[in-house]
Amino acid sequence: MKPVMTFALMTLRNLLRRRTIWGISIVILLALFGIGQIPGYGISNEGRFILDFGFFGLEIGALLLAIGLAANIYPRDKEQKTVMPLIAVPLSRGQYLMGRFIGAAMVQAAAMLVGCIGLMVILLLNGLNIPADLFPATCLLLVEGWFLLAVVFFFSFWTSPPLNAPLTVLLFILSQMSVSGFISILPGAQGFMRFLRLLLPHMDVFHIKDPIAHGVGIPFVYFLLATLYGLAYMAFMLSLALAVFRSRDLK
Amino acid sequence: MTNVPIKVDNLEKTFRKTLGFSSFKAVDSLSFQVNKGEILGFLGPNGAGKTTTIKCILGLLKPTSGNVLLWNDLPASNNVRTRIGYVPENPDYEDIFTPLEFMTMFSSMRKLDISKDQMVSILGRVGLEAWVKVRISNFSKGMKQRMSLALALQSQPELLIMDEPTGGLDPAARKEFRDVILEENSRGATIFLSSHLLSEVETICDRAVILANGKKVTEGNLDDLLRTEDLFSISFTVPGTESDVLEKKEVIAADLQKTIDELRQNGQNILEIKPVYRSLEEVFLSATRGGKL
Repeated sequence: MKPVMTFALMTLRNLLRRRTIWGISIVILLALFGIGQIPGYGISNEGRFILDFGFFGLEIGALLLAIGLAANIYPRDKEQKTVMPLIAVPLSRGQYLMGRFIGAAMVQAAAMLVGCIGLMVILLLNGLNIPADLFPATCLLLVEGWFLLAVVFFFSFWTSPPLNAPLTVLLFILSQMSVSGFISILPGAQGFMRFLRLLLPHMDVFHIKDPIAHGVGIPFVYFLLATLYGLAYMAFMLSLALAVFRSRDLK
Repeated sequence: MTNVPIKVDNLEKTFRKTLGFSSFKAVDSLSFQVNKGEILGFLGPNGAGKTTTIKCILGLLKPTSGNVLLWNDLPASNNVRTRIGYVPENPDYEDIFTPLEFMTMFSSMRKLDISKDQMVSILGRVGLEAWVKVRISNFSKGMKQRMSLALALQSQPELLIMDEPTGGLDPAARKEFRDVILEENSRGATIFLSSHLLSEVETICDRAVILANGKKVTEGNLDDLLRTEDLFSISFTVPGTESDVLEKKEVIAADLQKTIDELRQNGQNILEIKPVYRSLEEVFLSATRGGKL
């Protein structure tokens, strides 16, 4: 575990010094600032709107962070040949993938935490109560973000970064669809589409903004099961990514 | 058998191109081994397949067919990786770090018990003592090569695999590299050295393998490779002068006895008969047909 954690910290430091991450952070902060302006429009139930937009912003932020952080890591390592001395001696391919993934996941977690605190500050500044489930709900969005991060790593081992982003967004959209909605894309191949939908996670599991906005309490066991569900899909995606990476030649 | 650091057996590596409709065979039926404690020079013109072979040895490329074993184990296995040091061709590292930071992380990834002072000492050994806390982004190509040597040395590896390690170095730095290689070899490390610099190989290697077009064209002890089989040099003196004049004559093996008899009949004093040695460059050019692909 020590080699993986050392490499993860190395990845973390590397990512924090990149412009991409700061660009995405500025976009998130601007979005939060925009959400903070909602009460100024005189809308009733502004607390609900702030939470709705806030969670939406955090989810899109998680997606953008996943792409911005991970899409270019492996292609750049390969192009600059920095991956060669690492894989040749101190790290196995699995350790390389896990180190890179954990490093990026830590940055994503820090950014989501900042987003969550920002949302709390906006609620407080507008004299609104902070829902008890705000933090656990953000954690669920983070789990969704980690799954998307694993998806980006998976695509990065066999596509270019410009193709990685649209593929990830496509998977993100398809994973939001219901089974019937998914089948309606290709009604002629119902069985195949049903099987395909089974492979993709149901991302709506992670979206609990509506009950929170309406003040409905979420049982702890739901958070636990949804987290396990997300982590299981993340592990599945990482296993697929590792299988692809192991089959690749490092020319 | 398990003591053989590298054993390459009938290695073939083919790269598929254009959706798999065409292919390029980079290494073909290559077999050789690197024995414990020796310095093996791995030579060949550009595109001969040297780097491809090295990447197969390190597990970065999967052979199309054939076997590569390091101490009778598979290249990418944990047991093997802990015993080797690798100096890549044109190395590059994440340049936001300083050499000391990078060495610290590298040693942690390798689970080495090595202090900061020891790391600074290794960096000093490769000539980077003044650059210990300077970011790698400020380094020249030669300095990155020194850095890669320092990384390879920090685990005191049993096997040092070097791919064109002195390519971008000035003559003084090349000499320093050679000295480090010899020191490591005298410590007991086996050295696998791929190089274009024939003089370097000639100076430090025990044996050489020469490749051309992905195939081995010759292999052997340097002494055997450089010695001509059918050309001898005879040194003799011409008597009758105050101080005998030393002369030399080169003859082919078939004429050797006849020439000796003639010299004796003429009263000339034969001092030495020895085989004529070629330079490694001559051996290389003749084996690779002028170094052309």
